[in-house]
Amino acid sequence: MTLAADAPAPAPPRSARGAALDRAFEALCFGAATFLLAALGGLVVSLVIGGWPALSTFGVRFFVSAEWNPVTEVYGSAGAMVGTLVTSALALALALPLALGVAIFLVELCPTPLRRPIGTAVELLAGIPSIVYGMWGLFVFAPWFAKHVQIPLMTAAAPGSLWEKVTAGVPNGAGIFSASVILAIMILPFIAATLRELLLTIPPQVRESAYGLGSTTFEVIRKVSLPYVRTGAIGAIMLGLGRALGETMAVTFIIGNAHGFPSSLFASGSTIASTIANEFAEATGELHTASLIALGLVLFVITFVVLALARLLIGRQAHA
Amino acid sequence: MNAQLETQPETAVLDLPPEVVKLAIRDLDFFYGSKQALFGVNVSFAANAVTALIGPSGCGKSTLLRTLNRIYSLYPGQRAKGQVLLDGEDVLGPRVDVAALRARVGMVFQKPTPFPMSIFDNVAYGVRLYEKLSRADLTNRVEESLRRAALWDEVKDKLRESGLSLSGGQQQRLCVARGIAVRPEVLLLDEPASALDPISTARLEETISELKRDYTIVIVTHNMGQAARLSDHTGFMYLGRLIEFGETEQLFTSPVTSRARDYITGRFG
Repeated sequence: MTLAADAPAPAPPRSARGAALDRAFEALCFGAATFLLAALGGLVVSLVIGGWPALSTFGVRFFVSAEWNPVTEVYGSAGAMVGTLVTSALALALALPLALGVAIFLVELCPTPLRRPIGTAVELLAGIPSIVYGMWGLFVFAPWFAKHVQIPLMTAAAPGSLWEKVTAGVPNGAGIFSASVILAIMILPFIAATLRELLLTIPPQVRESAYGLGSTTFEVIRKVSLPYVRTGAIGAIMLGLGRALGETMAVTFIIGNAHGFPSSLFASGSTIASTIANEFAEATGELHTASLIALGLVLFVITFVVLALARLLIGRQAHA
Repeated sequence: MNAQLETQPETAVLDLPPEVVKLAIRDLDFFYGSKQALFGVNVSFAANAVTALIGPSGCGKSTLLRTLNRIYSLYPGQRAKGQVLLDGEDVLGPRVDVAALRARVGMVFQKPTPFPMSIFDNVAYGVRLYEKLSRADLTNRVEESLRRAALWDEVKDKLRESGLSLSGGQQQRLCVARGIAVRPEVLLLDEPASALDPISTARLEETISELKRDYTIVIVTHNMGQAARLSDHTGFMYLGRLIEFGETEQLFTSPVTSRARDYITGRFG
């Protein structure tokens, strides 16, 4: 009954306390956002400062030359850049059709009791650490690939033909194409799981309308379902590509780690991430270290450009 | 009065003369998994007429509609037993090409469902699936469909804009235009006006009255005024059974079964 006695006393105006709390809350959120931006800015600045000796020594040659020679102290990033872009693009080309197939199967065709187990399995695959993929790639995939794909293709190639150039390389299963396959396997579950989530957001009545006009499943998916989710799908694909661009361990295991432009599909090569991982511990000279840091800056810029392009695409689609 | 009540039948279904029948439903049972939703429905729908299905929520009227173009078969676990004869052919048979059936039996849903494409492409969507028309013929077909759906004047200057940019009522008429563009024989309407404002509803009703010259129309509605205004025949359903079916005027003025009378006079439902 004390409550009843207290009741007549005027309550402190709630709005004053609320407003103070609100200001504190806003300041906290603002602080968190500022911290992130500051960290990002600091990262870029330190990459530029760390890489400056290399950038100032080699100038434009750092970006256009593929020569990377720690003995003569000449460094150019073009080989690793090309290796990075080629393996990522190949990986995406391999993974995307499969990921689409997996997602569409899970949403449209899979018998109901199997949907959840298979969907969960796909999500689990997306979480496997990359070093596991790398080990599997080196010890299991590479020997198999060399024996059953690489050698038959090389022996089938006519001497002097373009095909011979494309397939040339040491037949040990390690190289650009193997790295792309491993990368594709790594980004496949991520893209598939995201596409599945997106397809599940389509209202059932929209699908029913499409079927109701006499479409087949394929027509519904191609003309209605995929356009319906295209904005999100582009985002998912670009995030997958971002993961492929920066992937280090798995690629380092299986790409063969040779400097310069890769000479063929099966030749050894390197990516930016694999070069850094391989050489950072052994980098002795200042110029070598600086070149590796500058390489990191290049990767940062490439990834940033890819994500920015994705944003741009999404923005344009959203207005269409 | 009492004597009359005692002799009232449980169900009363009017038999239509066979020459006017477009769709005939025979002994139709329907199941959602193990739950039965329709019980032995027997009824015929006339060609070039509007048939309304009324009844309280959950009575099975939408389910009945969804068996007519087999849209239910998208969902594993839903199945129908019995016969649905379209011009004498059983559409529930195993050898039926479901996509081709749905091109003959079109459907418009409760909520507007424009596809993520331009207004023109929305209407042309179904046409492109089944017909190879020249650009000019396709343009004509789209215009004709939009005119018949009473939408042309509002969209003729922005056919390239997204179908999603229209208002709710316009979107629903777009869906009607899309449905009639493929020139189906039967048009199924599942509470097409339930999400619309009164003006859009009135325009949609005009459209439906207009369309019945060429189509067999079956409409599910909660709005009894709408059923009375629009339809030639009305079926009243209750708990998965067809209780009464007959001429709309007769059913609304002097229903034969007590359930239908109670529902129509507002005693329940």
